[in-house]
Amino acid sequence: MGDIVSLVTKRLALGLLTLFVVSILIFFAVELLPGDIAEAVLGQSATPETVAALREQMGLNQPAVIRYLHWLAGAVTGDFGTSLVSGERVSAAIGPRFLNTLFLATYAAVIAVPFAIILGVIVALWRNTAFDRVANVLTLTSISSPEFFLGYVLILYLAVRTNAFPAIASLQPGMSFIEILHRTFLPALTLVLVVTAHMMRMTRAAIINLLSSPYIEMARLKGAPAWKVITHHALPNAWAPIINVVALNLAYLITGVVLVEVVFVYPGVGQLLVDAVSKRDFPVVQACCLIFAATFILLNLLADVGAILTNPRLRHPK
Amino acid sequence: MSVFVVGYYSLLIAASCLAAYYKRREPFLIIFGLTLISIIVGIIGGIGALKAITTVVALLALAAGMSYAFKEFLVTITPERWAKELRTAPLTASFGMFVIFIYAIAGIFAPVIAPHGEAEVIASSFAPPDQNMLLGADQLGRDMFSRIIYGARNSVGLALVATALAFFMGALAGLLAATRGGWFDQVMGRAADIVMSVPSLIFALLMLSIFGTNLIVIVIVVGVIYSPRVFRLTRAVAGNVVVMDYIEAAKLRGEGNWYLIRKEILPNSTAPLIAEFGLEFCFVFLLIAGLSFLGLGIQPPTADWGSMVRENATLISFGEITPLIPAAAIALLTVAVNFVVDWMLYRSSGLKE
Amino acid sequence: MATNKKKDVLLKIQDLRIEAYADEKWFEIVHGVDLTLHRGEVLGLIGESGAGKSTIGLAAMGFARDGCRISGGSIEFDGMELTTTPQSALRALRGSRIAYVAQSAAASFNPAHKIIDQHTEAPLHYRIQKRVEAQEDAMELYERLRLPNPQEIGFRYPHQVSGGQLQRAMTAMAMACRPDLIIFDEPTTALDVTTQIEVLAAIRDIVDQFNTAAIYITHDLAVVAQMADTIKVLLKGEEVEEAPTAQMLENPKEDYTKSLWAVRSFQRDQKPRPTDPNVKPVVSVKNVDAAYGDTKVLDDVSFDIYEGMTVAVVGESGSGKSTTARCITGLLPPLKGEILFKGEKLPPSYKDRSKDQLRQCQMIYQMADTALNPKVRISEIIGRPAQFYMGLQGGELKSRVDELLDLIELEPSKYYNRYPTELSGGQKQRIGIARALAAEPSFIICDEVTSALDQLVAEGILKLLDKLQRELNLSYMFITHDLATVRSIADEVVVMQHGKVVEQGPKDVMFTPPHHPYTDLLLSSVPEMDPNWLSTLLEERGVDNIGEAAEI
Repeated sequence: MGDIVSLVTKRLALGLLTLFVVSILIFFAVELLPGDIAEAVLGQSATPETVAALREQMGLNQPAVIRYLHWLAGAVTGDFGTSLVSGERVSAAIGPRFLNTLFLATYAAVIAVPFAIILGVIVALWRNTAFDRVANVLTLTSISSPEFFLGYVLILYLAVRTNAFPAIASLQPGMSFIEILHRTFLPALTLVLVVTAHMMRMTRAAIINLLSSPYIEMARLKGAPAWKVITHHALPNAWAPIINVVALNLAYLITGVVLVEVVFVYPGVGQLLVDAVSKRDFPVVQACCLIFAATFILLNLLADVGAILTNPRLRHPK
Repeated sequence: MSVFVVGYYSLLIAASCLAAYYKRREPFLIIFGLTLISIIVGIIGGIGALKAITTVVALLALAAGMSYAFKEFLVTITPERWAKELRTAPLTASFGMFVIFIYAIAGIFAPVIAPHGEAEVIASSFAPPDQNMLLGADQLGRDMFSRIIYGARNSVGLALVATALAFFMGALAGLLAATRGGWFDQVMGRAADIVMSVPSLIFALLMLSIFGTNLIVIVIVVGVIYSPRVFRLTRAVAGNVVVMDYIEAAKLRGEGNWYLIRKEILPNSTAPLIAEFGLEFCFVFLLIAGLSFLGLGIQPPTADWGSMVRENATLISFGEITPLIPAAAIALLTVAVNFVVDWMLYRSSGLKE
Repeated sequence: MATNKKKDVLLKIQDLRIEAYADEKWFEIVHGVDLTLHRGEVLGLIGESGAGKSTIGLAAMGFARDGCRISGGSIEFDGMELTTTPQSALRALRGSRIAYVAQSAAASFNPAHKIIDQHTEAPLHYRIQKRVEAQEDAMELYERLRLPNPQEIGFRYPHQVSGGQLQRAMTAMAMACRPDLIIFDEPTTALDVTTQIEVLAAIRDIVDQFNTAAIYITHDLAVVAQMADTIKVLLKGEEVEEAPTAQMLENPKEDYTKSLWAVRSFQRDQKPRPTDPNVKPVVSVKNVDAAYGDTKVLDDVSFDIYEGMTVAVVGESGSGKSTTARCITGLLPPLKGEILFKGEKLPPSYKDRSKDQLRQCQMIYQMADTALNPKVRISEIIGRPAQFYMGLQGGELKSRVDELLDLIELEPSKYYNRYPTELSGGQKQRIGIARALAAEPSFIICDEVTSALDQLVAEGILKLLDKLQRELNLSYMFITHDLATVRSIADEVVVMQHGKVVEQGPKDVMFTPPHHPYTDLLLSSVPEMDPNWLSTLLEERGVDNIGEAAEI
């Protein structure tokens, strides 16, 4: 078991290191601003005095490294400073929105993951049939459509023309869970459409790759029935690729969620980020970027660890 | 029961019987499947739904016919070496090539094709379509159709430039990393990992918030974000070539890196690299469209599909389809490129799967 | 063994035709083969690559790989017509009455399950035995196949067991339901000669003990001579001839078969070292140690190669023979020791060597497919070294390329503008030789140059190399695992094992006893054409010494 522990530890350490480097990247990118934040915030009309005052207030006179360490220490404890625009605590603005975003992503994932994997396996088993070709065309189309296209098409047909679902996914306190699911159905469906297509294609490729291995042919030549070849011989070796596919697509959800939130005016981190970017509210931008990047890195990390843990060669070392 | 419904079902049933009689299993399954679906949809949606299905099928048939004709056209006019490859193209790929061809025409000859200028205000805002304006006016009273035509030039052009930049940087670094190996390979690999560990849209938003949204910034930022993907692929493809004995023979002959790349590695990696260029273009195009949609891409009054969707989005709540057209234009081109890439990957992998 | 003729017919294949799908078309790859197999009989199917041996073997189970289909003929197994039997009934035959042993056991065992669980899968599925019975039976089979720790080895995972042991475990697995017929598809091709013996002995024992019929597929004549009662020779999907083993070996009828048998006849005279002590060897490897990362692969390797001579370096995979070549060419700078060229020390890395030093030492590779750039014309492949080293241009270059093509016996006008993919394996290997010659070297490393080629073609290459050596006074370092090649072309032999030189000397001395124990093992493990060779060898070594004979 020593191999596994050391491999997993190494992977975890690498993940942490990546996150650390990314945090440096996010923080110091802002330092690349022509002038500095104070000038950027106040604009050209500001007098030198007001700029200096703001600098003082924001602690910009300290060296960047010190400010980075302060920021990092804050970020680790969930404190991202104050917004330049509203003067609010950044964490207070992000907290509830982050939960909303997580909810939407989970909603989409719960539908998409089982659906996509089952379909992916079926398509792989029926490869080169008409069904496979139709699925190929449909998934390619879905992948190629921008999220806002799918979103507006759904709004047009399922909200405006038929009134089956609300077009705007705003949330109010006190809504029942069923009501929330109903309100957020369209954004979730948009995400499901895109992610399912990706996941199906990747699952199909992984399974087909697996089915061409000699031990699958051997199992067939031993007289194992088709279902047993799949469940007993292919599946135990398919976990690593499937976990990988799922994690990659959950990571993809993270990006997709930004556009979908804007389309459906959903109160999540994505909207906040887009707002902050157009208002150049850097503390909020940095905080949102760090959160998205951390989630992304974490998911990739989980995928790799999952692949290590399910690899029979590593689980049963020599 | 109207004549339409009777005709509709009798045609489908006759076609499925014919297919079954001639033992064409797959066409039979498709046609009969469509029949069954039509019965269900017809019960729920009535004649309207059946008419919609008819329209979709007719459109698909039209597209298929056009694609087939276009493929035969290409096969006829290209030299034998290419024609041989082209003959293997499935309908989807020919459809893709046809769409790309149309977009290229629209982009190159935009000023000739578009009836009005892209920033020319000619009507009241959201004016409905008339003889002068095929698709009506946008929120400022500019001709939608003309702006869509110009969009082919602006949106696609920008994406092409950004892809080319990403490709140039990534491929060069990948080829060098594969031939030189050692620390250069390691450093580039780690750097690519770092850039790829931030979701691309998030990275782009961060950079645009800092450097502002002008075209050069967009091109560079998108180029930087996507070059690691190209780097990885090129590194992998070139990595497979570098282990070949002919590379060892060339190295032992004393050839330099540049000779190795140009004469030995590149000729053996063109097929996957071209396919990757197509894929990359799709990613870049979608990213830039997303940025434009968020108001952070090409700035007005330049016509751009992503921002056109955003600007006219209010029309959707009135049940209007016009704002979807630029979005559909984006989707259609991406689908087209993906279809072609799919075929190329299938050809170059040489797998019969 | 040859007394099974009168028994019942078990398998009767008539006019079997198989098609494969390529480039959007179906091509026939097996053109009407007949085959009759009686109970308890072992039929050897031999032929070169592409002869359709494996495809026919699988068809005997009613199975066609993805992209292949049985397009005609009949396959009658024990009264059942397999081409018309429904899939479910076919499946019921597989594993229970017909079993299959694949070439690569390492790839054909599922990495996710224990060996014994894979072994008992078929008996449990067919409800022949209960789990415990099946496991006990497996252990008994392991013992009969002389696997170490038969009680325990099955409870390991495939990657925890060595290649030779896995191959035996797979043979045991094939026996699990006591089938009437086993298909052996090149079961020892991936193994080293010393490991091959154990597996061959095990297979022969088990087939004899249970009186199982078998189809033994291989490209190695000597191996099939040990295993089969009857031999059928195939060429490009068609039968050449079939005869009982002894008759086939002594008196082959068809020209093609005769040529296969005659291949190993080529032998050139052995040359002695120059007697003058002042003559420096062309290449001299002195006390070289080398490592990949932390694993040491070469330990104090020394040998000399003199002008105009051929030194064969032999050993099994992992013995360090190719690594030695990499040290000489400078691809892997040695940790210790040095390489001398005509008495002069060469820089350890090829990057530091002069153009002339690089030119003097050329290399010919095993796989001509990967040794020639598929996107470059023949004229440029051969012309580039001449252009690069001698600065030849235009007409001069063209006439030099023509001259080189003449040297390797290929018509210049025909091949000048072709690409490597348009050539056959033997022609490609000739182009590889021409590229080496274009540099006008004095020393050429031949790395397993004939092992990927069919035997007739290989002999042509050996003859060509010999001719070039005489004409151009070249020195060869000949890396090979095939002792027949050594016998035919070497002047001196270096035997390597685990990164060390265990013995070296002139060929005649090396091939006459007494040997170093490893050399002895290596020499005696190479199958010979004599059908009694394996039995005699096993008697000499004693049964107990076969199991792990490779471990000295």
